[in-house]
Amino acid sequence: MKTLTHEQLNSLEQDLNAIRDEVRADLGDRDARYIRRIIRLHRTLAVGGRLMMPLGFIPPVFTAAVASLGLSKIIENMEIGHNVMHGQYDWMNDPALHSQTYEWDTVCTGDSWRRTHNYEHHTYTNVIGKDRDYGYALLRLNDDHKWRPAHSLQFINYILLTVFFQWGVGLHELEFDRIRRGEIRLSEKKQFLKEYARKGGRQGFKDYVFFPLLTLPVAPIVLAGNISANLIRNLWSSTVIFCGHFTEDAETFTEAECENESKGQWYLRQLTGSSNFTGSKFVHMLSGHLSHQIEHHVFPDLPAHRYPEIAPRVQAVCKKYGIHYNTGSFAGQYGTVLKRIAQYSLPDKLRLKLSPQTA
Amino acid sequence: MLSLLEKNTPLRWLGKQLFNRDDPAAFFDPLLERINPLWVRQYVPALVESVVDETADTKTFVLRPADRWAGFEAGQHVSIGLDIGGVRYNRTFSLSSAPGQWAADGSVSLTIKRLSGGLVTNWMHDNVSTGSILGIGEAFGDFRVPETQEPVLYIAGGSGITPVLSQLQTLAASHYRAPVTLLYFVRTQADIIAAETLTALSQRWPALTLNIIATDEGEHPEHLSTTLLDRVPDVAARRCYLCGPKGLMDIAEELLVQRGIDQARIHSTFFAVPKAALDGDALGGAVHFSRSKIQVTSKGDAVLLDIAEAASLTPRHGCRMGVCHQCSCRKTSGTVVNRLTGKASGPGEDTIQLCISVPQGPVSVDI
Repeated sequence: MKTLTHEQLNSLEQDLNAIRDEVRADLGDRDARYIRRIIRLHRTLAVGGRLMMPLGFIPPVFTAAVASLGLSKIIENMEIGHNVMHGQYDWMNDPALHSQTYEWDTVCTGDSWRRTHNYEHHTYTNVIGKDRDYGYALLRLNDDHKWRPAHSLQFINYILLTVFFQWGVGLHELEFDRIRRGEIRLSEKKQFLKEYARKGGRQGFKDYVFFPLLTLPVAPIVLAGNISANLIRNLWSSTVIFCGHFTEDAETFTEAECENESKGQWYLRQLTGSSNFTGSKFVHMLSGHLSHQIEHHVFPDLPAHRYPEIAPRVQAVCKKYGIHYNTGSFAGQYGTVLKRIAQYSLPDKLRLKLSPQTA
Repeated sequence: MLSLLEKNTPLRWLGKQLFNRDDPAAFFDPLLERINPLWVRQYVPALVESVVDETADTKTFVLRPADRWAGFEAGQHVSIGLDIGGVRYNRTFSLSSAPGQWAADGSVSLTIKRLSGGLVTNWMHDNVSTGSILGIGEAFGDFRVPETQEPVLYIAGGSGITPVLSQLQTLAASHYRAPVTLLYFVRTQADIIAAETLTALSQRWPALTLNIIATDEGEHPEHLSTTLLDRVPDVAARRCYLCGPKGLMDIAEELLVQRGIDQARIHSTFFAVPKAALDGDALGGAVHFSRSKIQVTSKGDAVLLDIAEAASLTPRHGCRMGVCHQCSCRKTSGTVVNRLTGKASGPGEDTIQLCISVPQGPVSVDI
């Protein structure tokens, strides 16, 4: 783990605060116009996708409808929902963009997400045992967890998680691993399960019952199209998220390391525990700007479209303190994620023999 | 058609399922506002039809609210919503037109004076023009015209004339016969708002006695006094309506009560003037947690989350360091200082993070 002196940490904190304050002071029309333009794009794609879907018996129309609806779900989840719920647009004072009341187009309820993601994941980023997003209690991604034979099949778990990502994310707060270990009781999660069922039911009803039935003669086509759109969204969002913290160089931390942490140490942990990937403007937008995961983790409540603008400055700060700024191409970063999942599915002895550098 | 998504219960339920929001009809706003801004459902939009100069620093904005707006009674206020620099502001103004005008042609008027240092009023003067869209809330307020024929006294100061204008026009239109006197205080003759309307009213409506007093003019500047009230015939028998700066309203109420007028027959309506920002030392203040009905006093730079917890409240929160926004909630009034940036909030309704907000004077929070 990268360590800095007390003075360096203080000055790191000041440098990053300065960037944040400057952006905050500059928030205004430009940011409001941006997010409203994105919301308009989402509505256009969503309405367009739903309208085209019943004509999906014409193959090119089916492709266009699935792409349109899939993109709309991606944009709503990544660039609108995720970012609005972080409070990035609370300053606009628009009730429709309020972090505490926004509800997004996915199975996970906004409230559950605000607890598990905004609070747990963003506060305890990559702290093993505290950040439940690290491997989702489903994957072994470092050697802090003892290898068990079941881990050898974890690549299958990964495929299942990524295909059914919205259902997995929705169930995240159940903490099934802790229930299995007897740390908590299922009955404590009754309220959560009720809300999960309600929101999951709502999402399933919409895409798999209501819209297919509405267009009964072509119901199978609409059903298939809606499943495909959800699948595209699941694959993309899980891939983006995995690239944010599970790449080769993304560091992990122990609870002891983070006790009585200062804000400077918290910044350092966010910088070294996150990873970016490069891409076009459109790819950045589709990722909800989580392609700038580092900037997002340092400034989770700044409007995300600002991340590419401040990235050079964050990179310069990293350079100043000798902190590794973890970035690379999308394919390159995703490759290291897949490698990590595969490597840690092996017993430590075998892993170290095959790739000694992971020691 | 979209109103069905709001009013029809099964359709509203369906809309909630499909669009994940309590106001499903507003899902289409971003598309509809491009076609016709008056089709927006999130708030009731109003089209600015014209802007008229009243005085050097006062303008009347004539608005046409969307059809679903429910109307108002003379003397009531509305909350006006508008976006400035990407931020939505809501401010309360009195309607200066009579309900009869709205019934006849669907328009209402706001008469607004520039407040020195006021963000919203200055912005409206400088930027709102014919064709602009403003949000308009439902009318509220119990500053209402008398129900029966009885003598009336209006005391208005400055832009406090606006709800009075609405009432006078309403009374005139109803051929009100009991005597009505208006004492209207302005700084100079040039500050008279709606001078033509007032003159025209007094000419065609014999019941009205108009007395406009310019306080900063003449050799002997005149203010509200016993002598002035003595000139109003049978003042003790009148129902009184007061609207103006706090100083004027306080004196008026005192003088009227001295003359034995029952408090129940004195109607006041305030319009707030924003206070200047306090200096950095003046932190802390009376904190009102409105939903829990708890009032406490805070000292120094304690943040609202700590203050709430000290008062045995358990507001939702997370990181306690301004990161996760779990504790974001509505501040309904008062000023808070952001502990991270040192910046003070505005005095009105706002979303704040409890864990980094320090009260600066009295604050009311919706928890």
